Amino acid sequence: MPRRIAIVEDDAAIRANYADALRKHGYEVSAHAARGEAMGAFRTRLPDLAVIDIGLGEEPDGGFTLCRELRALAPSLPILFLTARDSDFDAVSGLRLGADDYLTKDVSLPHLLARISALFRRIDALREPKAAEEVLERGALRLDAKRFAASWKGRPVGLTLTEFWMVHTLAKFPGHVKDREGLMRDANLVVDEGTITSHVKRIRRKFAAVDPAFEQIDTVYGMGYRWKA
Amino acid sequence: MKLASLKLASYFSRASLRTKLALVALVLLALPWAGYEYVREMERFLLEGEEQALLATARAVATALHDRPGLMRARPSRDDDLLREAEEELRRLAAERGEAQPEPGAEPAPIIDREEAAAKNETEEIGEILRAVERSTARIWVVTRELRVLALAGSLRREEGGAEETLAQRVLGLLIPRPSEDFDDAIDDDALAAGREISGALQGRPGFRLRNTPDGKAVVISAAHPIWNGDEVAGAVVVEESTNPILSVRSQALERLLVLTLAAFAVAAAVLIWFATRISTRIRQLRDEAETAIDGRGRLAHLVTAQDAGDEIGDLSRSFSAMLAKLSQHHAYLESLASRLSHELRTPIAVVRSSLENLKPAPADARVYIDRAEEGLKRLGTILTRMSEATRLEQGLASFERERFDLAAVVSGCVEGYRLAYPHQAFDLALPQKKSWVQGSPDLAAQLLDKFVANAVDFAAAGRRGEPVRISLSVANGMIELGVENKGPPLPEEMRGKLFESMVSVRGERRGEGTSAEPHLGLGLYIARLIAEFHGGDIHARNLASGEGVAVSATFRSA
Repeated sequence: MPRRIAIVEDDAAIRANYADALRKHGYEVSAHAARGEAMGAFRTRLPDLAVIDIGLGEEPDGGFTLCRELRALAPSLPILFLTARDSDFDAVSGLRLGADDYLTKDVSLPHLLARISALFRRIDALREPKAAEEVLERGALRLDAKRFAASWKGRPVGLTLTEFWMVHTLAKFPGHVKDREGLMRDANLVVDEGTITSHVKRIRRKFAAVDPAFEQIDTVYGMGYRWKA
Repeated sequence: MKLASLKLASYFSRASLRTKLALVALVLLALPWAGYEYVREMERFLLEGEEQALLATARAVATALHDRPGLMRARPSRDDDLLREAEEELRRLAAERGEAQPEPGAEPAPIIDREEAAAKNETEEIGEILRAVERSTARIWVVTRELRVLALAGSLRREEGGAEETLAQRVLGLLIPRPSEDFDDAIDDDALAAGREISGALQGRPGFRLRNTPDGKAVVISAAHPIWNGDEVAGAVVVEESTNPILSVRSQALERLLVLTLAAFAVAAAVLIWFATRISTRIRQLRDEAETAIDGRGRLAHLVTAQDAGDEIGDLSRSFSAMLAKLSQHHAYLESLASRLSHELRTPIAVVRSSLENLKPAPADARVYIDRAEEGLKRLGTILTRMSEATRLEQGLASFERERFDLAAVVSGCVEGYRLAYPHQAFDLALPQKKSWVQGSPDLAAQLLDKFVANAVDFAAAGRRGEPVRISLSVANGMIELGVENKGPPLPEEMRGKLFESMVSVRGERRGEGTSAEPHLGLGLYIARLIAEFHGGDIHARNLASGEGVAVSATFRSA
């Protein structure tokens, strides 16, 4: 049975393009233009994943409201923001509301598809706890590439998909400097360098919340970041 | 003439507000003139009153002498006429020589008393009557129809006030002459013979006239009234008085007027000058503030001068403020336009991109065009990101966390990166021996250096290849200076101050020779300035002394 993806996007052309692309890749797609309409459809039948824009027609923050309502309806449903807004503030707000990832519309279709399949893999991995693990261990860090779950000193760290990939890229070759472009490529991100900086900051903060002594990610000025060996 | 008046007008329009008000204040000089006219009017009025009073006195005396033929019949002997005239002449000469007054006015006594023994009683009786109505400064005499003076009482002179004059009074006296008491009060024969009032009175008509004293030093009013004896005129009563009392009132009034107007003029001028100075000071303050209301970064300040004043200057200040507020809104709109535009354009770009990507399984000949379209989109995306970079940085600076870091370590790390990033460009690095601690954000500092180096490499490439870009760090006066020098075309003179403002670029016309494919929006050095200011420093650009290149530098407050 094909997976069902809901797209809530007020721009008809983008909505149709994304819907077509997803259908081509074998997903079943339900597209909605407004918050009320989408919520009505979700109440009847929940999708397997939701792609939501923040600005919805008349409501500049309609996507945030929809995300909150949907999260209340389905606590484990993967939600992905796909929006034109690229400010840190919006990204943080979106992730705090329980979204699993935040992408700007600069993202290419292959990237978007990669994100979506990754989210589905995470869901699947969580559903079958006995499944084989693809685990990367670096000292106290443990990354499960199947579940997209990270832990530090045995305690889980709640990373988003983007953040998980960034940590994964850095930790794969400890001691090697990974420049910002490389990080972007590996994390399937298309953003400017300033956004990478704020992503790294957020990652550091999340680890520091688990372990205040966390100092594993090193900034190499002018070049990029590295995971301390 | 017209040219001269034009010149004057243009001079006036160029004069300061204070000068203009001072000139306008000259109008106040009309006040003393009006006062002078008023005093003259008053004098005329007093003279009229005096005339009426003298006439009334004459009438009163005449009334006492009406129908008393016995009194008027007295005749002095003809022989005495010559003697009398001789005596009169002597007296006049004595007066002219300035000798003691022959007739003290204090004790009014008949001057002429050369009557026959028989007439003596009558004359004395007339004298009695005259003394009864005597006035201190009036002279009363009675003449017969034959113009013979029967009796005379009083003097024209006033007693001189003995008070010493002060210096101020003497100075005023020079400006405004006071009436002199030193005049000839002799009775002219002409006065008797030619006096209109006397001849009129002798014909039965009361009248008065003004005449000069024989020496011309004073003016005398004389009023005459007929003495009736039944239906015929028996003689006339003549009452004379000098106009000196009125003149001295007038000169006192003029003196006071002069002093008062001078004082009022001085006070008014002082007040006007103070007022004008205050107004022009306020306007000048407003002007200075308005001139500096837009700072180097294009930020708009709010005017504070006179903003609460209720007058026109307050209005002006408020409308300036309102105008600046509108300008500020417009400015903010322009500033946010870049980020809003980039935001608004993202959606249509996403439409194009997703459409192109949906075309992907396309025939080979179509692929070329799809690739080109995607290349164009990528460049468009870069431009949009650049456009919003400055605004995002501006908004983010406030919430940026500060930490203490070694600027030298950041710089050396960055330079290592640049050597990899720009393999064709040589870099010279000069670092101080000590660590350069700075409070701020190492990421931002690296971003600033990125901007400097990107510019330097660009312009070095536009100039002579092979010359290294020099990067130096030096410490002075609690500030750390980060400088980047490159050989290449110098800065245009007129761009010097504007270089670090938003959307200013010197690249424009050089676009053709530039080697960089990156779009330039003139935001790089603006971002660098925001970062330098975040670190408590500033940013400068100058041409090298040799004129063969440019040096830009940023300062950081040492921590």
